[in-house]
Amino acid sequence: MKYQPRALIAEITHRCPLHCVYCSNPLEMQRRSLEISTADWASIFEQAAEMGVLQLHLTGGEPLARQDLIDLVRAGRAARLYLNLITSAVGLDETRMDALIDAGLDHIQLSFQDIEEAPANEFAGTRSHALKLRMAEMIRRRRIGFTLNMVIHRENLARLPEMIAFAEQSGAQRVEIAHVQYYGWALRNQAALLPSREQVDRSVEIVEGARERLKGRLRIDFVLPDYYAKYPKPCMNGWGHQQMLIDPAGRVLPCHAAGVIPGLEFANAREHPLRWIWEHSPAFNRFRDESWMPEPCRSCERRTRDFGGCRCQAFLLTGDASATDPVCTLAPRHDVVEKVLNHANNGAKPNWVYRIDPA
Amino acid sequence: MSELAPDARLRLAPGCRLNESGSAEDLLLIPEGALRLKGPARAIVELCTGDRAVREIVEELQRRFGAENSERIESETMTLLARLRDRGALESI
Repeated sequence: MKYQPRALIAEITHRCPLHCVYCSNPLEMQRRSLEISTADWASIFEQAAEMGVLQLHLTGGEPLARQDLIDLVRAGRAARLYLNLITSAVGLDETRMDALIDAGLDHIQLSFQDIEEAPANEFAGTRSHALKLRMAEMIRRRRIGFTLNMVIHRENLARLPEMIAFAEQSGAQRVEIAHVQYYGWALRNQAALLPSREQVDRSVEIVEGARERLKGRLRIDFVLPDYYAKYPKPCMNGWGHQQMLIDPAGRVLPCHAAGVIPGLEFANAREHPLRWIWEHSPAFNRFRDESWMPEPCRSCERRTRDFGGCRCQAFLLTGDASATDPVCTLAPRHDVVEKVLNHANNGAKPNWVYRIDPA
Repeated sequence: MSELAPDARLRLAPGCRLNESGSAEDLLLIPEGALRLKGPARAIVELCTGDRAVREIVEELQRRFGAENSERIESETMTLLARLRDRGALESI
């Protein structure tokens, strides 16, 4: 097989105590009654490791909402996978943390919505900030890989230096500073989230300065908003090239947003072997090579680097999943992105739209 | 890449570990992915338990792999360890 999967993103539940205004989960979430079992996941982890997957990212929703989380970690480690938990820490305490580490958890990624309590709770749609601070302190006292995740956007960018200062003394080895990406619920709130060009430029300066200053002490990963880029991001490093995502009901997708693309059927890991889904299912092969590419991608020298950008974004913004990603300045439909940017740099901020939990 | 002191004691940083020995390839698993370990690199990383100085690790490797290559063993070991430390995969204690 030409494409070697390396990471499995397991969305083990869509339930979540937070209601972030930029939630990346699909608009249509899987209900609790459809969630697959511990044994189903254990079989998936075994199959994934067998195929050469190295890393397992347990995410949600909030993965702590699953009562069998410790068993899932144990099953992942038994399959020899590297175990990362992506969490808000709501549902965590000392006992559960120790049990997760005993079960083999390698790394924990804790998200923050802001560094000040009132706006953090506003963006999360719930009062969770104070608890997160306590949980960060608890994690720091244990020997486990620790990354902080700070999601930044128009309404909190002014506090980026304070966020970095917090990360510096948090005990985390790494901080991920990620501008919101416009999928799922984030697209719904885009007009309120998208920063101005000036804010984006400033964030680049701040992060570059901090990287220099904190070299050897804190690693900083930085995700820029692709709307302001000249060329698209190499989304997922290519469709079906290195990663797969499995949703709470067992559907296997090339990424967290692919469910929006009409006409694609995503096979379920309870009904098909994972290897068959990765290698042969039509959905995983739909945008894998270059045969789907229109111009200007088809003859573009960057096509082997960015793969024409993001298929989901192409669909969300143009209605055609086979279009060149409209964030690309060479894309025929770049006008749709320009229109959004124009509004972000001149328009007024609308109110948040909050989402509710699945039944 | 900054100089690595010969008396530094290194161990795997939190969130970093070697894959199971006997796997198809030797890998150092880290939060962002995996680093491929070639040749004797796995054996070198295995010696980074925090209770030996880098100098002692080099001596141990020279004993294992032959004194005739001692200079090369020293320079290659120091380069590998400094790189892994800069990458955040090894920490000084």
